Amino acid sequence: MNTDELQSLWQAYDKKLEDSKFLNMQSWALNLQCFEDLQKQKAKSKLNKLAAIKIWMVVVGVIWVLLLLFLVVNSLIFSKIAFVVSVGMIALITTVGIVMYIKQVILIKQIDNNESITVVQEKLAALQSSTLNIPRILFLQTPFYCTWFFTPVWATSGDPAFWFIALPIALLFAYFSWWLYKNIHYKNMDKKWFKILFNSPEWTTVIKAKGFINEIEAFKKDKA
Amino acid sequence: MNNEEDKKAFLQLIEDNMRIIFKISNSYCQNKNDREDLVQEIIYQLWKSAHSFNAAYKFSTWMYRIALNVAISFYRKEKKASAIIPFEYVVDIEDKPDENKQTEENINLLQKFISELKELDKALMILYLETRPYTEIAEILGITETNVATKISRIKNNLKEKFTTIKI
Repeated sequence: MNTDELQSLWQAYDKKLEDSKFLNMQSWALNLQCFEDLQKQKAKSKLNKLAAIKIWMVVVGVIWVLLLLFLVVNSLIFSKIAFVVSVGMIALITTVGIVMYIKQVILIKQIDNNESITVVQEKLAALQSSTLNIPRILFLQTPFYCTWFFTPVWATSGDPAFWFIALPIALLFAYFSWWLYKNIHYKNMDKKWFKILFNSPEWTTVIKAKGFINEIEAFKKDKA
Repeated sequence: MNNEEDKKAFLQLIEDNMRIIFKISNSYCQNKNDREDLVQEIIYQLWKSAHSFNAAYKFSTWMYRIALNVAISFYRKEKKASAIIPFEYVVDIEDKPDENKQTEENINLLQKFISELKELDKALMILYLETRPYTEIAEILGITETNVATKISRIKNNLKEKFTTIKI
């Protein structure tokens, strides 16, 4: 097979399509009424739906943070110091998550299929892979759900329940959340714990997106 | 772009370029239902982006960009389901006279080899086979002309080898 024959073969394929039933099968698209139905059906594209979900998450997140801040402001006394610090940290970490969601919404709005293929695909893959950073950040809140009810009186009273149960559990959660923060990375995608944690088709797409970014980078280089 | 005349003009453009849309869909989707969905998605995205078409530029450049971007995004979402469909179920090989059979077989092989390429290589090869100039391919893909030439040469050699291997 001569390499120039490939183009001739492709032209033969084009001719075959012209003569074949395939194009007739697609003729629905050329009917005005069907086209209008298609427009209605597709009016909310998947990306728009994705943006709508993320905007909704931002709204819920903002309400949650405002509620937490309200609790913090109304608890500013020494006996509730653990509550103020814990709830304050949850509010802070949630805010970081909200900012990440807002960045994703901006990225979705910036995607324009009219741009070059490498640019669009890089943006889409970046959007998908950045989704992995959200649980990574949000896991950092978990230890603070174990500390909000601590009080200075409880800590100084010598109660074994504090020193042998409550505090070790909080420290354990702190260690695991920090460990997850450091290790939730596409490089660990083949590890067993990672597969258990992100075991759904949506996450698989997100994880593979990082690999696709590397593929695009390699494609853009002037190398064979 | 909402009146009937615009819609008719748009549909005429689509009709004129339907074979290209189908070839792109066929290269990225082996599953018949997915392929029909992809054709719909490409037509819809072309319509949605019609306002961004600048008459100063080539219509084909604009169309290939949108169609290939939609196809790659679609393929990346549907790849898992499509991958399990054996190729022989996709391509209809009808009874033809002997001289046509060889061409039919080669067309099927070419489709198969193209469908096995990576997403971006596939886009590059479709544009090459569509006889687009290297400058236009570079513009559509967002890479340099030198890079286009290098990659096309490499992929063509791989395809040639595959054809040779299968004929032995």
